[in-house]
Amino acid sequence: MTQAVSHLDLLEAESIHIFREAAAQFRKPVLLYSIGKDSTVLLHLARKAFWPGKLPFPLVHIDTGWKFRDMIAFRDKTARDFDLDLIVHTNEDGAAKGINPIDYAPSIYTDVMKTVPLKQALDKYGFDAAFGGARRDEEASRAKERVFSFRAEGHRWDPRRQRPEMWRLLNGRLGAGETVRVFPLSNWTERDVWRYILREKLDVVPLYFAKERPTIIRNGQLLMKDDERLAVKPGEEVVNRRVRFRTLGCYPLTAAVESDADTIESVVAETLGARTSERQGRLIDHDQAGAMEKKKQEGYF
Amino acid sequence: MSAHPNALSTEKAKKSKTLKVVSDQTSTSAAPADLSKIAPELSGMLRVLTCGSVDDGKSTLIGRLLWDATDLYDDQRETLERGKKVDGGNPDFSLLMDGLVAEREQGITIDIAWRYFDTATRRIVVIDSPGHEQYTRNMASGASHADVAILLIDARHGIKKQTRRHAAILDLVGVKRVILVVNKMDLVDWSESAFRKIEADFETFSWRFGFWEATAIPTAAVSGDNVASASQHMPWYTGPTLLQYLEQLPSRVTEPTGPFRFPVQTVLRDSRNDFRGLAGTVSGGSVRVGETVVDALSKRTAKVLRIATMNGDLEQASQGQAVAIQLDIDIDVARGAVLSKADARPTVARVIETRMVWLSETAFDPRGSYLLRTATDLTPVSNLKIRALLDLETLETHPSEVCSTNDIAISEIALGRATALDTFGEAPETGSFMLVDAITGATIAGGIVTNAKPEAAEADENTFVLKRAVLERGLNSDLGDRPETQAEFRRRANEVALILRAAGINVEIETPPDYSI
Repeated sequence: MTQAVSHLDLLEAESIHIFREAAAQFRKPVLLYSIGKDSTVLLHLARKAFWPGKLPFPLVHIDTGWKFRDMIAFRDKTARDFDLDLIVHTNEDGAAKGINPIDYAPSIYTDVMKTVPLKQALDKYGFDAAFGGARRDEEASRAKERVFSFRAEGHRWDPRRQRPEMWRLLNGRLGAGETVRVFPLSNWTERDVWRYILREKLDVVPLYFAKERPTIIRNGQLLMKDDERLAVKPGEEVVNRRVRFRTLGCYPLTAAVESDADTIESVVAETLGARTSERQGRLIDHDQAGAMEKKKQEGYF
Repeated sequence: MSAHPNALSTEKAKKSKTLKVVSDQTSTSAAPADLSKIAPELSGMLRVLTCGSVDDGKSTLIGRLLWDATDLYDDQRETLERGKKVDGGNPDFSLLMDGLVAEREQGITIDIAWRYFDTATRRIVVIDSPGHEQYTRNMASGASHADVAILLIDARHGIKKQTRRHAAILDLVGVKRVILVVNKMDLVDWSESAFRKIEADFETFSWRFGFWEATAIPTAAVSGDNVASASQHMPWYTGPTLLQYLEQLPSRVTEPTGPFRFPVQTVLRDSRNDFRGLAGTVSGGSVRVGETVVDALSKRTAKVLRIATMNGDLEQASQGQAVAIQLDIDIDVARGAVLSKADARPTVARVIETRMVWLSETAFDPRGSYLLRTATDLTPVSNLKIRALLDLETLETHPSEVCSTNDIAISEIALGRATALDTFGEAPETGSFMLVDAITGATIAGGIVTNAKPEAAEADENTFVLKRAVLERGLNSDLGDRPETQAEFRRRANEVALILRAAGINVEIETPPDYSI
């Protein structure tokens, strides 16, 4: 080749390879779409992997009912624009019982409204493989993840029973009751995701860009009051602040950062210069020691 | 790569960052959009494996390297600061690397952990692999992804069986550069003679392997000596620090090498434009539009009409690129096929000689049902014979018919049907494989092809030939004779072969008539 290959080219080719392997090896895959920047890159790479054909699998979004309104609007627009087969699934039982991220401990809420419905959706449609946007740079237990991450019956993750992966070979032969999580972005970093969004000129949810938003300070974190369900407690005050989000999830559990970065370029610049990793803004991870590892063993993505 | 100017000082690190482009105080929204400055793509990637025995201080070494030389986030630095202080107030660097709770409790690293950091020009990927002998299989899988390996040993103990085992695995999986880091030099009073003896021991066994470079560096990771900065305690050592050494290594090979190989992953169709493209990643060499390619198995040839990607068509596709190749005529190739040029084809193999590392906790079972996963094919094994094991004390091979966890074995594998394969030396990606348990799906072994033979194994009276006519009449009668059902036809034939194999019958699947031209 005459021109130098950048690290993003290498990562992109690797991700496309993973998508194609999984689509060829599994009977019924699905892409777990969570609307955020990682999902945006994931979806873009999936489209590249099968272009000019259509995506050979649907997308599923686990909707807790507590996502930012901007996220839902973006999700629906994306599905329309790219002619995607989108399934939206909610744990209706949990919703009926009123399990919410404000009154319940993050561990309970995550289990009932995220982990359980994910399992429900996979079982309901009989998906044997699910693509996710997890990266190894995100968190300590994820640093050990495989590209094909096997889950035993009941979707349990046992770190000791993962399969060795060698060279570019991916072994997707399932044992009885097993399903797989596939992570095409395994070797990407948070900075790569942003670099790639910039390079490929991808649309992302507007919440990543700084804007005046109604916020409160709770437990030292900046939360956006996206709707009336987040009640203001005594001593708290709704203040319009210029904020943006480094990660997106359920709005009462997602901390904002004060920022002036209101263009993709300035967001990328800020991210590349950032001094704390993105998980700091995710409140569930701080719940207990080894929180993510425990969640995964229980079947969290 | 250069030593972080503010190593070991979180306070200072907050004021200046190696990679910091814009300070947080500056309003960035008004800055000119010079993308090459905002988000420079890195010009290469280097994957570094670290391996060593328990307690050699591997996590500390890597933590130290990250701490001193890279763009760690502040919260990661604080995690380290919060950890218990060891050895005179240094942070507990191992906290960065030991991720799983089980590992922290046991104080050992049981699984490979991937870490990413950037220097000014390239991505460094650190693959931290387990030291404990019980987890050698994880080390082997980590090693297969590496460009260079750091082999870590304790200066007090010198080279052990495990060091030789690791070197043998590095050689097997194709790692060409090895750095022997002789750590804990502080505990042998920075003794030159201790280091020289280990260095000499290393030389006497490493020459046996196919390494291009093998070098030794004396370090003390806990205090940082010769990791990112030259040691004041060892004036007798004038070689590079570990960081300097890594810095001068070439990036991951991106130049096309070897013969053109294109293992077909899947077929893409777009009915609107009458497009039928073979999707895959070029695993060796390169190909241009207009060139003639051949499917090794069917021996059919066609010309490359288009090399398609979503970003536009390419004139040429090279090693490492993921593309879709459209041929000028439809030659019915599907997943499992390997395209090559006519003058340098892979072998259509029936029997392969291999070297492999046994990864499973279950020992080799002569009656077991195994599958061979190659680049994109999955072939039933009709007979697997262990020939010899590598003795890790002498590094010589001894005849053996058994094989168990962590063994490095020489074997002969008869395949249930012909598969396109190379030797690992000629084309690594089409010359490596994983052995898979057909029942549980577990990965049993990983190996390389040292010889691929086109002729079938000697006829065995116990060999049953699974005829296509029999399959077509019954089991596959619903499939009809259409190209798009070939994959399903093959899958069912594989499963039948596996069931018979489990009953102790060696099975050969009859080759399709077209393929025998």
